[in-house]
Amino acid sequence: MKIISLNKGLGALWYSLIFGLYLCCTPAQANKVLRQIQSPPQQIQISGTITDGTSPLPGVAISIKEKATTVTISDHNGQYRLTASPDDILVFVFMGFKTATVPINGQKTINIQLQEDITSLQEVRVNAGYYSVKESERTGSIAKITAKDIDKQPVSNILATMQGRMAGVDIVQDGGTAGGGFQIKIRGQNSLRADGNSPLYIIDGVLYSSETIGYSNTTTGMPTTTSPLSSINPSDVESIEVLKDADATAIYGSRGANGVVLITTKKGKAGKTKFSITSSTGVGKVTKFINLMNTEQYLAMRRSGFANDGIVNYPANAYDINGTWDQTRYTDWQKELLGGTARITDLQANVSGGSTQTQYLLSGTRRTETTVIPGDFAYRRTSVRFNMNHTSEDTKFKISFAGGYTIQDNKQPSTDLSRIARNLAPNAPALYDTDGNLNWKNNTFQNPLAPLKSFSTVKTKDLVANAILSYSILPNLEIKGNFGFTELNNDERKITPSTIVNPSLGITSANSSAHENATERQSLLFEPQLHWKKSFNNSTIDLLLGGTAQQQTTSRLFTQGVGFASNSLINNMASATTKYIWASDVTEYKYQAFFGRLNYNYRDKYIVNATGRRDGSSRFGPGKQFATFGAVGAAWLFTNESFLKDSKVLSFGKLRMSYGVTGNDQIGDYQFLNTYGSTALNYQGIVGLEPNRLFNPDFGWESSKKLEAALETGFMNDRLFLTVGWYKNRSSNQLVGIPVPGTTGFTSINANLDATVENKGIEVTLRTVNSSNNDFKWTTNFTISGSQNKLVSFPGLAGSTYANRYVIGESTNIIKVYQYTGVNPQTGLFEVADLNGDGLLTSAGDKQKTMNLSPKYFGGLQNQLQYKKWQLDFLLQFVKQQNYNYNPNVQGGGNLNQSSDMVNAWQQSGDVAPYQMNTSGTNSAAVNAYYRYVDSDAMIVDGSYIRLKNISLSYDLPLQHKGINCKLSLQGQNVLTFTPYKGGDPEFKNTGYLPPLRVLTAGVQLNF
Amino acid sequence: MVLFLNSCISCDNYVEVEQPNSQLTRTAVFEEMSTANAAMAGLYAKMRNNGVLAGSGGASVYLGWYADEFDYYQASNSNFYNNTLFPAESTVTSIWNYSYRQIYEANAIIEGVTNSVLLPQAGRNQLKGEALFIRALLHLYLVNIYGDVPYVKTTDHLVNSKISRMSTASVYENSIADLEESNLLLPEAYVTPERVRPNRFAVQAVLARTYLYMGAYAKASNAASAVINSPLYIWETDLDKIFLKGSTTTIWQFMPNAAGMNANEGSSYIFPTGPPTLIGLRPDFIYTFEANDKRKARWTKAVTNGSSTWYHAFKYKQRTTTPSSVEYSVVLRLAEQYLIRAEAKAKQGDLTNAKADINVIRNTAGLPNTTAVTADDIVTEVLRQRRFELFTEFGQRFFDLKRSGLIDNVLSISKPGWNSTDKFWPIPELELNANPNLNPQNPGY
Repeated sequence: MKIISLNKGLGALWYSLIFGLYLCCTPAQANKVLRQIQSPPQQIQISGTITDGTSPLPGVAISIKEKATTVTISDHNGQYRLTASPDDILVFVFMGFKTATVPINGQKTINIQLQEDITSLQEVRVNAGYYSVKESERTGSIAKITAKDIDKQPVSNILATMQGRMAGVDIVQDGGTAGGGFQIKIRGQNSLRADGNSPLYIIDGVLYSSETIGYSNTTTGMPTTTSPLSSINPSDVESIEVLKDADATAIYGSRGANGVVLITTKKGKAGKTKFSITSSTGVGKVTKFINLMNTEQYLAMRRSGFANDGIVNYPANAYDINGTWDQTRYTDWQKELLGGTARITDLQANVSGGSTQTQYLLSGTRRTETTVIPGDFAYRRTSVRFNMNHTSEDTKFKISFAGGYTIQDNKQPSTDLSRIARNLAPNAPALYDTDGNLNWKNNTFQNPLAPLKSFSTVKTKDLVANAILSYSILPNLEIKGNFGFTELNNDERKITPSTIVNPSLGITSANSSAHENATERQSLLFEPQLHWKKSFNNSTIDLLLGGTAQQQTTSRLFTQGVGFASNSLINNMASATTKYIWASDVTEYKYQAFFGRLNYNYRDKYIVNATGRRDGSSRFGPGKQFATFGAVGAAWLFTNESFLKDSKVLSFGKLRMSYGVTGNDQIGDYQFLNTYGSTALNYQGIVGLEPNRLFNPDFGWESSKKLEAALETGFMNDRLFLTVGWYKNRSSNQLVGIPVPGTTGFTSINANLDATVENKGIEVTLRTVNSSNNDFKWTTNFTISGSQNKLVSFPGLAGSTYANRYVIGESTNIIKVYQYTGVNPQTGLFEVADLNGDGLLTSAGDKQKTMNLSPKYFGGLQNQLQYKKWQLDFLLQFVKQQNYNYNPNVQGGGNLNQSSDMVNAWQQSGDVAPYQMNTSGTNSAAVNAYYRYVDSDAMIVDGSYIRLKNISLSYDLPLQHKGINCKLSLQGQNVLTFTPYKGGDPEFKNTGYLPPLRVLTAGVQLNF
Repeated sequence: MVLFLNSCISCDNYVEVEQPNSQLTRTAVFEEMSTANAAMAGLYAKMRNNGVLAGSGGASVYLGWYADEFDYYQASNSNFYNNTLFPAESTVTSIWNYSYRQIYEANAIIEGVTNSVLLPQAGRNQLKGEALFIRALLHLYLVNIYGDVPYVKTTDHLVNSKISRMSTASVYENSIADLEESNLLLPEAYVTPERVRPNRFAVQAVLARTYLYMGAYAKASNAASAVINSPLYIWETDLDKIFLKGSTTTIWQFMPNAAGMNANEGSSYIFPTGPPTLIGLRPDFIYTFEANDKRKARWTKAVTNGSSTWYHAFKYKQRTTTPSSVEYSVVLRLAEQYLIRAEAKAKQGDLTNAKADINVIRNTAGLPNTTAVTADDIVTEVLRQRRFELFTEFGQRFFDLKRSGLIDNVLSISKPGWNSTDKFWPIPELELNANPNLNPQNPGY
């Protein structure tokens, strides 16, 4: 019922907006008529060419000083033509170049060479969400990358393009399977809830929910369920801004605590109609395999395991050593199962252009990625985007529309073979028998190719559209309406046909099963805004007031069918003998807010920025829905002070600070209700009901207090630009699923925890322009972020269920482990210390050693070089961290291969060895020692790495034909890795899944 | 500005959402018989699929490996089969969590019907009686698997998250109290056809088992007699009919999820070609059947590839779906009651009746009357018969070895990894970490 009333509400707002605009336009039209009556003076035709010294500059905006805003724009050959009076003054403005002012003085041809302005980066406007701000005047902490960086990376996910390029933004890929997700943490882990640390995503002003649309049973080959973010096509993106501190995020109130990611898509530019086609193709491979035992080493380990346990007759299931399997065979299973080459093709085409008043861009992209796993698996994405901007002739009314539609079609196996490839015994039988059929070796071999017959197909369709209308009611007052709409359709299906098992087991299609997930999400957003800006003699006041009304509806249908008359009917759920409906629900999320911003700028020296927001969210129970957030930021541009104004060394200097409070409502919907829901399981023809959760209605907002101070300095005309930022964030009233013992019937309960977590850190970015002459340009960007996470206070920790998990004063990303003391030379077993000295080894008593798994510091070093028509760009990414070592199983227990290091197992009394004695798995003492070992500090090793994350080389082909521009490029991702880590690729979150691939592509771009 | 204010109207209720149509408040669930019944159905469905009583992966499978019923055939090693459990073992944790989750749901039903205003008294008694029965039964399994455990009687998480372990004797006392109360609430007749909801005799059957475990033999034989003497249960001499859904010896069974589905045990145990991929009966179990024991021929099956032979349990003969369901998973059946009474009578010195009860079982298996003479011989014979009668049924073998005190003697021979402290599983590590009141950990872990 509420949906309808909201729609009505929005409809009503539409009418009032249109009516309001009509009223406002009436006097404007009158004005226009008046102005046209004035007779123009004598006009002359002027034309010319604009260059940067070597090549023509298209897109330069030319205006007539004090008379008209942009009159025309230079075309593709840098030429322009306009009409003006002989005594007018022309102003040439182009981003990245110094503005040139040229009096006409009766000339008819004015050719001009613009000077590149390396300090102009300070003039660039930065998107801060509801408003934009000049880089030099910004009071908040905002990191940015642009299409220039994004387009050089052969990746399919927008988050991948940000890795290593933004200070304070820590991104790790979930796995190397195409279409998979990423984990992002902006300035550390604020929330104790593992899934409560996502930033807020906004695409062209439209809030874009990053909450999963997947179902764990349909995408079992992926470590995480489907994320909507993979719908965003990186090549459509013009820039990504990440808002980090309170000043920048408080205007997003309850949802800003984990930072805000603003994605701005590409827009058309005025000028000649331009066509651009880019095509690239490439290959992907696994970066690094683990060193495993060969057959000889492996069999020796297995035999000694049984010998150590006094077992002479190998058991029936020890096929590897009991004579069932050939003991001379050797297969490198990693190479066999994961050594394939993924093929990547990407085709983009776009057309753009327009006049000074109206610009448009239409683009289409098609990308295909196959996998390194054998079989016919591929990820395909097709996207179309349209964008249009229009400004009325009097520049008072503006409308901008952007719409994008993406279709993803991803077919992946439902088992990631990484774990199997590492585990399979090196003497396991051949994959195919002599007849070319899958080899089951008489039921003794789980053929690793068999699981590939079970696969998932994920089809996602995503529409994001928005319209922004604005009108200047008065010279200083603008009214604006932002309308957003998103619709996401996700259809996932996993089939598990009976053929995944050995046919001799007699499993028929009566056991085949299919899972399906149909998820739809729709959201509507309306944000009216009022913007008032007034300049006085020495100061400027900028005021913004706005409101947000958002509603999001997600409907899910998770079904399973078991038993089909034939496997060929497996895709038809209606043919299933037994059907389960695991979830069928509609979730509504409603959110509203009022926000404001007041910015005061005194002589471009002192700037104060205050933002605030009052928020209400349907995720909380009655009485807990509303909260207020806000922040104050201030900046002092000390180089605008008279005593520094003429400094030859210091070209720019700004000190800025901010403090404020933001919030977090990532707790899921309806969690405050005390309800029963369906179990999907049937008993006596009744679909059972079950309690949904432990009931707690009294949880509310989590809030995060953020303090930041930063110094931005530019030296020698900003050829060297250094930003040093320091921040301290404190999150309190933590909204968590507090773990509870299983005796409560559940494993957690939602509640606010009276604990405070502090994240503090330093972020440094350094940009240097090493060479900027016309032939050779070289710039370097370096970022490094160090952060420290600390549990500041937690009253009652000792008596809480967290007692054995957290320590006050330590990071919340610690694990408590045993302290490993080595292999006992007498017993031959791994030993850990009895830290509490009670003579027993217990988890609660002796896992006292804390290991911190947060990265200590991370960053990137990027170099951009340009020599004549050649461009080289590369990024070295580095992370200093600890990570889990690879040790999957008791050495010798089960026929599973092990790391080749384990040949150094203890053998006899007196041996000093790094690994304990082998066992067949029946030696309880050895098995228990092993499990303590993997729960000890010995398993946490240096997982740091330096990686050539991205390299891109391109060349502008000199063509005879003037109007065509052709660029050739080679791009690589994850090209080289330097790491002491031995357990495979060091960049992973989940063992047993494909690591990020090494990708190399070659491409050609044509512009005409 | 007017526009802006416009949008503020009715702000306060804008962010209030209605309760989702897929959920029902707790109070509402217990104000209507149909939804209260659905809550009960949800609990049975869960017990059938997960936790100790699950036909695939419950006590039958894990205790089968853990004791001496099953061999393990996967490439990886099984900590159950090898008797090398540790506190963080995932199944040790999941069986604990499933059981307490099921107990929570039973408690929620007890509280729900107790506070209900509109439910009819008969319905209230029925649901409460069933929930008490389940609560007692699950605690009985827990205490025999994990040793001293908390007896959870409320849904209050503040109480349950600080709860302490209770002595085994107290757990039994609490179980008995719940069963006695349930006994008063449940009718003798089954509320629905097919014996898929417990009646008063199901309660008596569990009482008999509990008293037997406690050593209260007179009470055990009385409770068993109550079941045996009921006209509802008719002894069946055809071994192939015992596990059919219409079996007259069944006291309580789980109905499968849908028509045409059969007991999960069938698909877990049966393999058509050897070697098995996961579970097979141990050859030494097969070899110890008495000659001419029909249970070997009817309830186990040999699979051979010419050179080797493997065996699977064949009490349940349906491995997959059938046009209509044939077999249900039998949780309580009459044979156990005869064996309980035989043992209890022998312990009380009533050797004649004890032997009579054993002979019911022996004769049905095609064996002559027992030759046991002394009470001890009879008890030994009962345990032997229990092994061959109740194999692969929810860990009976393991529990019998424990209570008879034979466990170390028997398993140290057949299981290379067996230690005396293995007779209890460890308390899950997460559990001890979250609730230190559950300390100390069981010895040996």
